[in-house]
Amino acid sequence: MGVRKSKIFEVYESDDFRKRKLYTANLVPGKKAYGENIAVQDGIEYREWDAGSSKLASLILNGCTNTGIRNGDVVLYLGSSTGTTVSHVSDIVGKEGFVFALDVAPRVMRDLVFMCEDRKNIAPILADANKPDSFKDRVMEADVLYQDIAQKNQVEIFLKNVKAFLKKGGYALLAVKARNIDVTRNPKDIFRQVRAELESHLTIIDFRTLDPYQRDHCMFVCKRQ
Amino acid sequence: MERKKDFEALYRKNLELTKKQVREAVNEDLLIIQAISSVGDIDKTANLLSKRLREWFALYNPELEHRVKEHEEFVKLVIAQNEKKADDSMGKSFEKEDFGQILSLAGHINSLYELRQQYFNYLEKILKKYCPSVLAITGPIIGAKLFGHAGSLRKLAVLPSSTIQLLGAEKALFRHLQTRGRAKSPKHGILSQHPVMGKVKFKEHGKAARVLADKISLAARIDYFKGQYAGDKLRKEIEEKFGKWE
Repeated sequence: MGVRKSKIFEVYESDDFRKRKLYTANLVPGKKAYGENIAVQDGIEYREWDAGSSKLASLILNGCTNTGIRNGDVVLYLGSSTGTTVSHVSDIVGKEGFVFALDVAPRVMRDLVFMCEDRKNIAPILADANKPDSFKDRVMEADVLYQDIAQKNQVEIFLKNVKAFLKKGGYALLAVKARNIDVTRNPKDIFRQVRAELESHLTIIDFRTLDPYQRDHCMFVCKRQ
Repeated sequence: MERKKDFEALYRKNLELTKKQVREAVNEDLLIIQAISSVGDIDKTANLLSKRLREWFALYNPELEHRVKEHEEFVKLVIAQNEKKADDSMGKSFEKEDFGQILSLAGHINSLYELRQQYFNYLEKILKKYCPSVLAITGPIIGAKLFGHAGSLRKLAVLPSSTIQLLGAEKALFRHLQTRGRAKSPKHGILSQHPVMGKVKFKEHGKAARVLADKISLAARIDYFKGQYAGDKLRKEIEEKFGKWE
């Protein structure tokens, strides 16, 4: 079984077409970030990117062809948790790029700090994404903003951060968890409402629900004008 | 090249700052939560192993196993080895080596119970200093469990009392919300373990839980904002309604 380039920048896929698997080239060969599977081809190490534990991977598997993240980009990642997805984003942006990984919980930060010590292109930030002022001197203008946080006002937080940190023409990715906004309402209604809120500030390029990998989730890919 | 230098500087600055923040985030709340979670784990483990010990010991002396229902008491009796087997016992006599295996399991379970007692005392001590009013109403175990669910004293203090009433009943609450009322709303979560609940009639459980939650909420606020100790007064107010406990 081999690994070949996919249609997306710096993302690879298995050539086993029965089950599509994603890979990214390991930035620090010989080191796993979180116990994932590793495939080696032509001397390059690839880390398997499981869609069940990463919303970005499930977005790609559900057919998105442009995530907006490229080699050399500066990514502001809000809601990094222990850094499963962050490690793959760090692979994608490579040595020329940089990732700011932000989370509020000290517990998950501990694991993230250990990962940052291996991967020099990730900076851990322990701060509340709802208060952009509190971490504004710890980040720089970003090419891509990615947000995956479980808060009721996640859209408001997203727009706040887009305004504060995303450069003009930059990409903004938002993972929405319908269950966090309102457990009783139909997810479809919530997605429609989020879409309306986003549309007044950003251009929506892509929208996909993340079934079957993540239930009641969807992802918006937007661009700032 | 300029960019690369910026990255390096930001990397170092953020890593250092974050490490410091993580270190400073450790506080009393986290110690309480770890201790109470540990008590929960010990309860589960001790219960599981006690059941195994009962099965095993019953091969030797089923009459004793049948008579003593309390796990902790049973373990102590097994260790003491004072109990004589009845002459018409259903149990088989054991070789010394076979019986030794049972004994060493009992010894380990007993030390689990001792560890639990140690954590219980520790929790009581730490809660007495940190939130005396809440402790007076709830006792160490329930008080600490409320902490575990809320996350910290600060969070417990800012929670509405209706939320405190339902801490620990999240599953039932969301089932109620999701079925739009077809599933009944829960009356209480952790508070169902409170001694007062054993005193009141079944129909009054909801009422008692509500009163308890009110008083705990008041107590948590007094403790968090460093007010005058009011545990005894709040406790008396509950006792007037539902009777004394402990």
